[in-house]
Amino acid sequence: MYQTHKTYITSGMKMSDLIIENPSLLFLLEHFEVDFAVKDKTVEQLCTENKIDLPVFLIFGNLYNGFYPDEKEIAELNDISTIIRFLKNSHRFYKHDKYPELKYFIGQLHEKHNTEDILLIERFFNEYFEEVLEHLDYEESVAFPYICRLIEKGRIEQKNDFSANEYSDHHTDIETKLTDLKNLLLKHISLKNDFSLRRKFLFSLFELEFDLNIHSLIEEKILLPLVGKIETRAANG
Amino acid sequence: MDKTRIYIAILEPSQIIVEGLSNMLMKLKKNFHIFRFNDLEELRNSSAIAHFQIAVINPSAIQNRIADFVKLKNNHTQILWVALVYSFFDDEVIRKFDDTLLITAAPDQIARKLGQINTATDRDQHEDLSDREIEVLSQLVKGLSNKEIADKLNISIHTVISHRKNINEKTGIKSLSGLTIYAITKKIIPLDSITD
Repeated sequence: MYQTHKTYITSGMKMSDLIIENPSLLFLLEHFEVDFAVKDKTVEQLCTENKIDLPVFLIFGNLYNGFYPDEKEIAELNDISTIIRFLKNSHRFYKHDKYPELKYFIGQLHEKHNTEDILLIERFFNEYFEEVLEHLDYEESVAFPYICRLIEKGRIEQKNDFSANEYSDHHTDIETKLTDLKNLLLKHISLKNDFSLRRKFLFSLFELEFDLNIHSLIEEKILLPLVGKIETRAANG
Repeated sequence: MDKTRIYIAILEPSQIIVEGLSNMLMKLKKNFHIFRFNDLEELRNSSAIAHFQIAVINPSAIQNRIADFVKLKNNHTQILWVALVYSFFDDEVIRKFDDTLLITAAPDQIARKLGQINTATDRDQHEDLSDREIEVLSQLVKGLSNKEIADKLNISIHTVISHRKNINEKTGIKSLSGLTIYAITKKIIPLDSITD
């Protein structure tokens, strides 16, 4: 692989150029509910039209392009509701799009190769999917409502079961198993034929992994520190 | 992370120089993975920064930002910081680097310089587990703890942990359920040994 260029996204750049350079930015648009037909609009124009906080969009977009924000940039963000909206849409994408797609591919594989290995992979995946659903459910029913109440009222009510550490433990576990699945298929389990099906499955897995990594980063390195700041302010105020 | 790969960052404004240097490096037939950056900021914020082993930098990029550069360098001591020199630069600036590369250098000189970087050998990447590792793995997937495995195989817990680390690295699999699948597909344990 020979990669000499990565673009650092700024507000005046044309969105279509950026997508052509890095098609993964389509995930970014989808999670922000921005239509793919971006015409000749710049990043800033799209944000204004779709009522998306520009600094949040730039930081997230640059994550997809491979750049970490520094602490100062994160600390300057003040639109947490845009972040939550993005995360909720990503959840919808995992639950109703990505995982069902992967499940379908595995099912097809199993149908064609009725072997022990594939049976085990299918079982591994199903258990894994259950875990992911549990975590997404935790975020939606505990973490997000807590954060929304915090922003709305500016003070800490009941903390419920919300815990930043638990959050990041879940993520590590989810990412580890995904890597395991990838390595099992690439290194250890050999199948004859069915290139097309396996390719689709693997590509789909890579896409999920890519998006999930950014998702965890946003939650752990951006959302949680911002929430921590509001909590401190609320506790002192 | 693929250990046979060497990640190189090039921070150099001239596209021609970057392309030329990259091509030259690729032809050394080492497993180089090259990234280009436009300024120090971009390099510092790169998500790949922890993986880089070599950074080739035009000193003009750090000339007015020596403090920032030194800070970055101290934060990433795993990187060999190389100045790419093709015009006169203040010795003060050059001395901040670990090494220098002259633009007039021949490919083999470059190879010698960058060859200081150690990569994992093919042997390290070999997937096959040793007999001892297989024994540890088969106990592990039965649900035994480190302590129980140590007692059973008559080795120290420390040794068990070190075997587990090797198993994870060689197979690329970390979760217990993933290792179980591995053990079954490699016929280390029979399928019927696991219960639902």
